[in-house]
Amino acid sequence: MEFVVFAQQVVNGLVNGMAYVLIATGLTLIFGVLRIVNFAHGEFYMLGAFFTYYVVSLAGLDYVSATIIATAVVAAVGILANRLFFWPLRREHEFTILLSSLGLALLLTNGGEVVFGADPKYVSSPFSDEIVEMGNLIVTQQRVVIFAVGVIVLIALYLFIKNSRMGKMMRATAQNPEGAALTGINIRQVHTYTFALACGLAALAGALVGPTAMIYPTVGGWAVLKGFIVVIMGGLGSIPGALVGGLALGVIESLGGGYISLGFAEAIGYAIIIIVLLWRPQGLFGTARRA
Amino acid sequence: MASKLLPLIALVAAALLPLLTGSTYFHHLMVLWLLYALLALSLNIIIGYLGELTFGHAAFFGIGAYAAAILGMDYGLAGIPGILAAGLVAGLFGLVIGYVALRIVGPQFAILTLGFGSIIYTITNYWVDVTRGPMGISNIPPLTFFGGALTLESAQQYYYVALICVVAFAYACYALVHSRTGRAFIATRENPQLAASIGIDIFHMKLLGFVVATAIAGIGGALYAHYVKVITPELMGLQYMSALIIMVIVGGRGTIAGPIIGALIYVGLLELLRPLGAMRLVIFAALLIASVIFLPGGIVSLWRRYVEQPVLRKTATPQPSATVEAAE
Repeated sequence: MEFVVFAQQVVNGLVNGMAYVLIATGLTLIFGVLRIVNFAHGEFYMLGAFFTYYVVSLAGLDYVSATIIATAVVAAVGILANRLFFWPLRREHEFTILLSSLGLALLLTNGGEVVFGADPKYVSSPFSDEIVEMGNLIVTQQRVVIFAVGVIVLIALYLFIKNSRMGKMMRATAQNPEGAALTGINIRQVHTYTFALACGLAALAGALVGPTAMIYPTVGGWAVLKGFIVVIMGGLGSIPGALVGGLALGVIESLGGGYISLGFAEAIGYAIIIIVLLWRPQGLFGTARRA
Repeated sequence: MASKLLPLIALVAAALLPLLTGSTYFHHLMVLWLLYALLALSLNIIIGYLGELTFGHAAFFGIGAYAAAILGMDYGLAGIPGILAAGLVAGLFGLVIGYVALRIVGPQFAILTLGFGSIIYTITNYWVDVTRGPMGISNIPPLTFFGGALTLESAQQYYYVALICVVAFAYACYALVHSRTGRAFIATRENPQLAASIGIDIFHMKLLGFVVATAIAGIGGALYAHYVKVITPELMGLQYMSALIIMVIVGGRGTIAGPIIGALIYVGLLELLRPLGAMRLVIFAALLIASVIFLPGGIVSLWRRYVEQPVLRKTATPQPSATVEAAE
């Protein structure tokens, strides 16, 4: 019996972790390719969840199409955000860009509160009420969907970055932006694609996780904090780091919440970063400039 | 000459300001202004002089507030010793956190401080036995001096206490920037490798600046707790953190007048825009973005640009905006 409880916690943790991975992958992609720390990343998660909610409740579409539409729309919003807040500042100091993204985060959170209202909303999904039983473990279908979609999207992303023309251009830009530009790579296009991909991933995470909890306009702050923990743990700019870090954070939080205290589960994530950074300041898979 | 007189004129004006109106509402706003100015000045040491962005500063403000409230109410350590103890506690936290976080630089440092700030926020929220959790601590006694002989009651009295703190700290910043240590800060900010090559111990220099900044934030928090009398974990939340950053950036980082003016703009605009409700924070975000994009040196850079001639200045005062402008 004791083992079943433990296994259940691990499974729950892996599902939560997959959501963190989706959030953190976008964050780490933008940093890895463009050297931008996007503080507003969580807001795209928030927008993804809210757009899904509105497409379901106002347009009356089903949850799956709503998720696809919301992801596409938020990817477009990401392209717009890049044009307005990031692309014009590309030659400025990294703090200027970080502060600009902080401004964008505040703009979207507070704008979201004005437009969507501050009261929590609930995204309804047909998968929320169905239960999957695996032996003694019980998981809702929605959580299976989160994990499955996460795996598929990550494999697709891996193949895209490894094989496609744009993926190669992104990797070249990540290695050396000036060298990449010299060989004729259109940096502006790389910016656009990276932001579209990253914001789309965040929105997808929002649309998937939305039905498992209430959504409210300040949820982006939560999302970006989780994303930051994961990327700092795994190493900023490293996609394998985001995968390992995200799943590890989910499982550790779940076990910590189950066996120690639900409240301190939140703090455990941060405690892990400190331990990891004392040992490896650049994160598990990353490289960082040291003082 | 004018640059020597200007701070004196500003000081006299600030000292006379509360006498212009009998309205306690205005007095309250002025106290808030000075308390935020103290916090923004301390944050400016990290952002403006050390050249590192921190997202954890509001946490030290909160630590100071909680330390003052808990020490004052449960351990009888009130008045000046209580405030100094609050600064000490915040500084100790700053020492530990700085020791870990300052090992890395740039965006990673910013994110790491955000993580530390969030740990402190989370612990404050859940450690109900000590901090009383999300309800916060209320009925904090007012500030007393000389063993209870003088108790601060009115906003006007707090204004003068806060003014003394701001002036003392602003002067300390001025002296620091013109000292050997201050020049080492600037050298570290401008070029860490070069600074290290001429024998500056960068890590300890940064740690020193970080600890001073966090201790002052703690003192600011202690004053805030005694003045407002109610504190909640929200003091450490993202809202206060971004507010402090807005003050420093919009006012002008790396200057002494900048954060004080930034705090005035923050408090003033927030009150003026109050009728707009939730929209006012949207306007604030837009203000931050506009300032970052169009006025990277903050409001005070306008003064330099239009009032003083944009010639090279002889003083060693750091002008981050000047370097930005020169680079353009």
